[in-house]
Amino acid sequence: MDFRYTTEQDLFRQAIREWLVKNLEPRARGIDEAEDGIPDDITAGMAELGIFGVTIPEEYGGMPIPDDERLVYAMIAVHEIARADLSMSTPVYTLLTIGWSYIVNRYGSEELKQELLPAVAAGKAFAGINTTEPGGGSDLGAIKTIAPWDNEKQAYVMNGEKAYVSGPRECAKWGAPSGHCTLVKTDPAQGHKGMTFIWVPAHLDGISYTVYKDMGRMGLSTGGWIYKDVELPKKYVLGEEGKGFYVNMDGFNAARVLVAAACLGGAEKALEISGEYTAQRTTFGKPLGKWEGISFEMAGDWMQLDMLKLNLLRGAWMIGQEHTSPGQFSRKEINKVISTCKCLSPALCHDIARHGMMYHGAFGYTKETPLEMLLRGVMSYEVGAEGGLMIMRGIIARDEWGETHNPFKD
Amino acid sequence: MRIVVCVKTNYDLQMVRVKGREPVLEALPYKVGDLEKNALEAALQLREGGLECTIVALTVAEANAKVKETMKEALALAADEAVVVNDPALAATDQAALAAAIAKAIEHTGGADLVLFGEGSTDNYSGLVGSRVAELLGLPQIGYARSIAVADGAVTVERSMDDMIETLQAPLPAAVTVVSEINEPRVATLMNIMKAGKKPLTELSLADLGLDAGAAAPQKAVLSNLAEEQDRKHIIIEGDAATAAAGLVDALVKEGVLGR
Repeated sequence: MDFRYTTEQDLFRQAIREWLVKNLEPRARGIDEAEDGIPDDITAGMAELGIFGVTIPEEYGGMPIPDDERLVYAMIAVHEIARADLSMSTPVYTLLTIGWSYIVNRYGSEELKQELLPAVAAGKAFAGINTTEPGGGSDLGAIKTIAPWDNEKQAYVMNGEKAYVSGPRECAKWGAPSGHCTLVKTDPAQGHKGMTFIWVPAHLDGISYTVYKDMGRMGLSTGGWIYKDVELPKKYVLGEEGKGFYVNMDGFNAARVLVAAACLGGAEKALEISGEYTAQRTTFGKPLGKWEGISFEMAGDWMQLDMLKLNLLRGAWMIGQEHTSPGQFSRKEINKVISTCKCLSPALCHDIARHGMMYHGAFGYTKETPLEMLLRGVMSYEVGAEGGLMIMRGIIARDEWGETHNPFKD
Repeated sequence: MRIVVCVKTNYDLQMVRVKGREPVLEALPYKVGDLEKNALEAALQLREGGLECTIVALTVAEANAKVKETMKEALALAADEAVVVNDPALAATDQAALAAAIAKAIEHTGGADLVLFGEGSTDNYSGLVGSRVAELLGLPQIGYARSIAVADGAVTVERSMDDMIETLQAPLPAAVTVVSEINEPRVATLMNIMKAGKKPLTELSLADLGLDAGAAAPQKAVLSNLAEEQDRKHIIIEGDAATAAAGLVDALVKEGVLGR
């Protein structure tokens, strides 16, 4: 057992932190205010460092790192990016793109991998996830978007509507091959068993989108999609037709590792900001940090942060192990570790940001500190993106105590 | 052409805490020194400018038990191969012995057409080793380079003086020390980090270099290494704004800060 990063992982962390502190951190506020996406020179610089290639094999333009460590490298990257951009725009852009590329690489056809992955690794494509519909996101069995196979057209013909999806503007900006891993019903009569997970390039005929006005992470767009007779060839199927629900869930486990990494990176930075401020600011003749009402709360936050960082490393490691040599961990074991991280990390990040604002007093309510930006940004993961917090509790109840505690089945 | 970049690995200085004026050096990670990164970047830029060369990063481990891991950073940044002189006798040594080991190691591993150094190490900053190595190898030496060019068997170096820029030229082989203004070292890419572990690394002891342990014995001793003490005067100037401002000016004049 070894709790340390490898030399290579540590060098990667140091190198990207140095670059991000110099190039991204000073621009985070600007990215949040401009509401115009992540600047091209930032994505280009990140691609040059290898960040967009961490989950992609070298043969598709990715990085020559061991397969069982890919998710650990991705986790390190997202954690560091979140430290630098507390608006959460750049970390979420990155985690979606490298997280769902990981799933395309694992389940995609050779043709799809050739089409998509080199562009992602070069920082010139966006990849996202597209499951939620206007009717909801947690009850995936109830989705209405259909894509039955049409023999004449030799394509799945997709019709329906998706909502609260990250990246419509980013897809429009980059063009092909950007798009989303999308959950559809290819055999609507079959319920869960009729679902297929399929890559939908955003530029295809019959696709249109709208953009919502969000509360935070303003550098990354969120919107809805409308699909009208969109033709999807077989090469875009991820995994097998009819197994979409399970492929999607596997993808969520990987993505949730990275979501938690973004929350914990932001939380770590916010706690550092609070540490510096409470050391300097004095009231009644002593630094704020000397007041136990503050230092004990900070110590409590630090403890939870440290525990979650360790648990997240365990989760990233388990998934890596399971993907390279299957059969070591059950799906339930992995689900529980990952759901713990996804459930607790956004809330902890929110708490640490809010506590920091309180220590800063009125100053914390201004845009002179990045804390309010973090609070707005991390709320997206509290309200539900990549799995609602109650759903995470439901997964743990089901996978720990079985059917008597499964809220998803009566 | 063979460029040897002499690299000192030192404690990550950002992580050093000072307690009772003494640095706390327990369990600190080592890093490639900052100015050595400038020297590595300078070598890389010479190659990118069209100079065909092999870049060798050479270090003396001193007390760094994980020196081979630390040197992966130099290999990831620029070097094609690394040479590490690692010997228990060198764990606590001085600049004269370090220079002797470096000079021998350069001779032992195929020599050098150009030897690059940082102008001083990030930790002790004595700035002695470059000149000593040049002397031992009989090389012309130019210090404080802010630019380096190599052509026609000679190295041309610019350096900033107080009121002018001096341009110097020396025939190769030569030794050059660089200042931080020479470039902005890039950070290592993940691709290069992953390749670093596969590049050749030669480890040598003093015996391999024909030196005995006595050669590493320091000829000087560090008697104390204390952080600067900052005495604050805590003068509180009372009164309304106008009175206090006048009082502040008086105090600053008295201290010699103003009105000199």
